[in-house]
Amino acid sequence: MHPLRELIIRIFPTYKREGAGLAHGRRFFSLPSAFFSVPLFLALILVCVWTGLAFAAGEAIRLGEVNPLTGNLALHGLEIHQGIEAAVAEANAQGGIGGRPLVLLSRDDQSRPDVALNQTQDLLYREKVVGLLGGYVDSLVGPISSLAARQQTPYVAAASLQQSLTAQKNPFFFRVSSMAGIVQPLSRFLSDVVKPQTVAILYTATPGSTEFAASVRDLLIQQGIRVLVFEKFRPGTPDFSMLLLKVREAKAEVLISGGFFPDNLLLVRQLREQQVPLQAFVAPWGVAYEKFLRELRQNSEGLLGMCAWNPGITYPGTEAASEAFVQAFQARYGHLPNSTTMHGYAAAKAMLAAISAVVEQGQPLSGPAIAQELRRIDLLLPMGRLRFSEYGDPLEYQQVIVQIQNGVLQVVYPPEQATGRLIYPLPHSGQE
Amino acid sequence: MGIWQQAILSGLSLGSFYTLLGLGFSLIFGVTRAFNLAHGDFILLAGYLAFALWHFWHLPFSWILILCMVSLPVAMLALRELLHRLPEPFELNSLVVTFGLAIVLQNLFLGLFSADYRLLLLPTTVVLDLPACSLMMTANQAMLLLGSLAATAAVYLFLYRTFAGKALRATIQNREGAALAGIRVDQMQLLAFGLGGVLIGLAGPLMAVNMYLHPAGGLEPTLIAIILTIAAGVGRTGSLLWVGWLLGAAESLTALAVGSSWRELVSALVLLLILVGRPQAGAKHDIAS
Repeated sequence: MHPLRELIIRIFPTYKREGAGLAHGRRFFSLPSAFFSVPLFLALILVCVWTGLAFAAGEAIRLGEVNPLTGNLALHGLEIHQGIEAAVAEANAQGGIGGRPLVLLSRDDQSRPDVALNQTQDLLYREKVVGLLGGYVDSLVGPISSLAARQQTPYVAAASLQQSLTAQKNPFFFRVSSMAGIVQPLSRFLSDVVKPQTVAILYTATPGSTEFAASVRDLLIQQGIRVLVFEKFRPGTPDFSMLLLKVREAKAEVLISGGFFPDNLLLVRQLREQQVPLQAFVAPWGVAYEKFLRELRQNSEGLLGMCAWNPGITYPGTEAASEAFVQAFQARYGHLPNSTTMHGYAAAKAMLAAISAVVEQGQPLSGPAIAQELRRIDLLLPMGRLRFSEYGDPLEYQQVIVQIQNGVLQVVYPPEQATGRLIYPLPHSGQE
Repeated sequence: MGIWQQAILSGLSLGSFYTLLGLGFSLIFGVTRAFNLAHGDFILLAGYLAFALWHFWHLPFSWILILCMVSLPVAMLALRELLHRLPEPFELNSLVVTFGLAIVLQNLFLGLFSADYRLLLLPTTVVLDLPACSLMMTANQAMLLLGSLAATAAVYLFLYRTFAGKALRATIQNREGAALAGIRVDQMQLLAFGLGGVLIGLAGPLMAVNMYLHPAGGLEPTLIAIILTIAAGVGRTGSLLWVGWLLGAAESLTALAVGSSWRELVSALVLLLILVGRPQAGAKHDIAS
């Protein structure tokens, strides 16, 4: 006998007795068998519903993350990824949210906007994540934010500055950094503390860096400081000698670089080699990193950078939380976190706090509900207080100015957070 | 006036390095028709090897250069063995295989050296300083210029003054004709890969001391090598140097005159003009073969 037929007969004995059943126009069930089968069927449904509910209670909350894990921006993409991963692991170690574990689905955008878009589509349409995290530089963040808005899925970007992104009034876009939090302290530091007569500004041809350079230039001009060189370059430029020649010829006192980590690495290397007589070098991105100090060694002495957080540089009142994060991070990854890592961590903490609020209220985890909670959160994180404006800008984000002194990052501005005194002018040293 | 002289000097230095990047690619492509898309990644391999020898074993840079110039031919001969086994169509298959190899190498660098940017720092001094005409050259710039020029001159002399070099040129011009004349084409292939390996072994450490190393950094040297080979013509050492200088000078002067953001556009225009002005650069080779 065919195994399927045998199985049917075992379940419904009448089938055998009645022959071929409905196919032959006979009754499939007899009354006695229905007497036992119907309660069995109902019991089965009850079991299914019960297990379904139990499964739903423990069903994982799926979060998506798109970061440049390979390609030119891989260094910072990996740092953000680790920050997000650390926050999710921390939440899972505490039992998840409402008893539900968190699953982080990481995608690599290869430092390319088209890939970022494809990976976001995959996370939104196929993986059906409830929220999106990550992103480094606005050319990658921008496409992700548009797609997330169309799918009504909240997106908390870890590193985004371009003002037009929040000016679009996208209710599903949030970010933990802002242009004002960088430009304002830098301009105040230059005009109030350094007080140069002349500056040179070199910046990369990216939306965020271009906007940064224009904002700083305008503020400095308002303060009466002359901007002698204002030039952009392609990220990853292999030779800065001509730009440095211009800076040298213009006799600028301070060089402000809007370049990223590798640009600043090469820029400082060539600056030291060519002995460009500068009073100060300041760069918001790339300098305040342990890796920058490690690669440039004593050539990094006296350089000025900016950061929102670093091990040992934390927002007042968050020392214990900061230390706990550093310890846990080091135990997990075997190295110290940095400012970029903290941006990833902060973005994930914001998303998790919002999801937690939605779950606690007993609401379904929908995009609009999470976005609404994101607008309400008020967190005190090692990077500072995190609250969002109606259209996703962080209200309290402020970076500090740090200087590399004897191989250590010292906060030199603002005065209330200073850990060291500014060394000015820039000490000159040859390479090793 | 001095600022322009400095721009030309920097341009020549950069252009000489571009020539060095293109020379190995041109030789290998000329003899084997293998379009090596992993060329820049092999340069990075040499750069990372130099970095490791400097960082972990603290070897002097002269030793590092020698070790890289000895090691890279081995890697290139291994590549030759790999390509030797490819079925027809060889050109297409070599493209696919070397593209895959580039990805493998990138992941190898990522695994061994992480995504961090690496610098090879050497004690540097200013070797030329003429404040009167605003001319200055650092030891690293001089090494880049002289190393690249010396390598180009050595390859030129080898190709034009030695029997093996002439045989190599004959193979580049017409493989079948060279074989009929009794030249062992397979040995010429070995020679081209070996010589290409030496040039790559020199370019890698020079890149490490003047720029930075990054796992994804192989694409740009590959593109430069391809562009120079197309513009100068396959196996033409002299033309390669001129095109390299022209490109380097155009980039530097553009950066100085109108801004750094225009340098790629001007370089592309210069290359187009070279191709339009010298159509025989590419065509001559095709007719000969």
